Amino acid sequence: MASTPLPTAKHSLPSLLHAQTPKTLLSRKLPNLPKSFQSQFCGVKLSHSSNFAVPSSFKKSSILAKVSKGSVAPSFSLKDQDGKTVSLSKFKGKPVVVYFYPADETPGCTKQACAFRDSYEKFKKAGAEVIGISGDDPSSHKAFAKKYRLPFTLLSDEGNKVRKDWGVPADLFGTLPGRQTYVLDKNGVVQLIYNNQFQPEKHIDETLKFLQSA
Amino acid sequence: MFAEVATMSAFPHLRSLHHVNQCHYLSPPSHIYRSITTTTTKSRRRHPEPLVVDLPWVLNTSTPATTTIPLDDPSLQSTDPPPVLKRSTPVATTSMLNDPSLKSKWSHRAWVASGGTTVLVSLAKSVTGAVDSGTWLQPILAGVVGYVLADLGSGVYHWGIDNYGDENTPVFGSQIEAFQGHHKWPWIITRRQFANNLHALARAVSFTVLPMDLIFNDPVLHGFVSVCSGCIMFSQQFHAWAHTTKSKLHPLVVALQDAGVLVSRSMHGAHHRPPYDSNYCIVSGVWNELLDTYKVFEALEMVLFFKLGVKPRSWSEPSSNWTEETDTSSLIAEL
Repeated sequence: MASTPLPTAKHSLPSLLHAQTPKTLLSRKLPNLPKSFQSQFCGVKLSHSSNFAVPSSFKKSSILAKVSKGSVAPSFSLKDQDGKTVSLSKFKGKPVVVYFYPADETPGCTKQACAFRDSYEKFKKAGAEVIGISGDDPSSHKAFAKKYRLPFTLLSDEGNKVRKDWGVPADLFGTLPGRQTYVLDKNGVVQLIYNNQFQPEKHIDETLKFLQSA
Repeated sequence: MFAEVATMSAFPHLRSLHHVNQCHYLSPPSHIYRSITTTTTKSRRRHPEPLVVDLPWVLNTSTPATTTIPLDDPSLQSTDPPPVLKRSTPVATTSMLNDPSLKSKWSHRAWVASGGTTVLVSLAKSVTGAVDSGTWLQPILAGVVGYVLADLGSGVYHWGIDNYGDENTPVFGSQIEAFQGHHKWPWIITRRQFANNLHALARAVSFTVLPMDLIFNDPVLHGFVSVCSGCIMFSQQFHAWAHTTKSKLHPLVVALQDAGVLVSRSMHGAHHRPPYDSNYCIVSGVWNELLDTYKVFEALEMVLFFKLGVKPRSWSEPSSNWTEETDTSSLIAEL
């Protein structure tokens, strides 16, 4: 699946250079980057309605499948790391952070999972639950959760069906499953979508900031 | 990685680390005593002799959840090789450093001569072509581009060799094994004789540049080829200099390292710290910051993982084959 071109509405692009790089050399030298590059390396946060400029060849399937801000997230039932079937509807009544990540035991996903773990109490304090979803099987999730002592639910989206249903865009010309996080309110309506492949910790910062300000 | 304060005075190049994963750390030696210079007088005077470690360091692996070692002392920021602890049993060190495999053979020298000749011929073609045509700017610019791209090429090759394959991989197996050994005993590269160190790259350069010397005469092309191939061929020497104690380096080399023309000791030292996934470029290192900040190699690793199902070595905890050996037999710098 090709990467979806970015919407033209207002974005919030975290300052990659200052946040990440202490050296001044890099911040002086790097040029302005094209938007598609920026989304993968700087993050894109969508917290209000926007119109997506979708190539016509993908228009039909993309519009029908895409979950956007303000829409009710489609329900799903997936197996968790213990093999139990978990439905999204189970979490209705409280905010939910649903984060799609490429795969267990990859560096970025490990950093992201550990960051969610380390801030889990803050998410709970905000009344929210955290769910991670990738295409790995339950046994992989179990080992991953055990190794890094992850306190939240990991769901197996084998075949990446839910990823496709929700329209999570792929990165690097479709070679990498995208890293995208959704914040659903207590009614199951999407209030925030954050995408950032290579700065996984920012997903925690952005979603927590949103939940704490809501 | 080194974590004990007791090691810090012995290894001033170590940096502070904060791990959330497993990390390796050293346990302190069982005995530390001072060697005493005895005299014939009745009362012994204790001289401030250097510490002598009686037993070899033991590498422990453990899995603390987090390990924070605050090292604000500027004297601990250098990445120069550690000072040697004078050993009472230098046999292992001596034998390793005098290993015949570190010496140059005539075949090594032949390859270096051959590679060097092809580079010089290319350079000569560029210079004579520039003289004949009267245009110098383009060949010189092409040379600069060659120097810059050689650094990128060194990084890509180094990343590939460090992360994929093993000693049984066709064509690259011996290189992979050599790189693995280098990570385990980084200082040995400074003991390799010149031709021994460069011959593999010189061979590759010979095969690549010779056809270009025979077929092409364009001074701009040769400006690029000569500088690029020359930098690649000598990258192992730049690499060795990046592992050498500052005091042992020629002042010109130090100046070039400090200016960023050659890869610096501190920049390359960062590559030799777990998880060994950064600072792969070894000519000038000019690409390292960009490649690491934009996670270019991580992106390539992810693509290869999803397309081919292959995980790079840097994703796993370093095995004992990869982790730098800190046994006293591998220490070679002087106090």
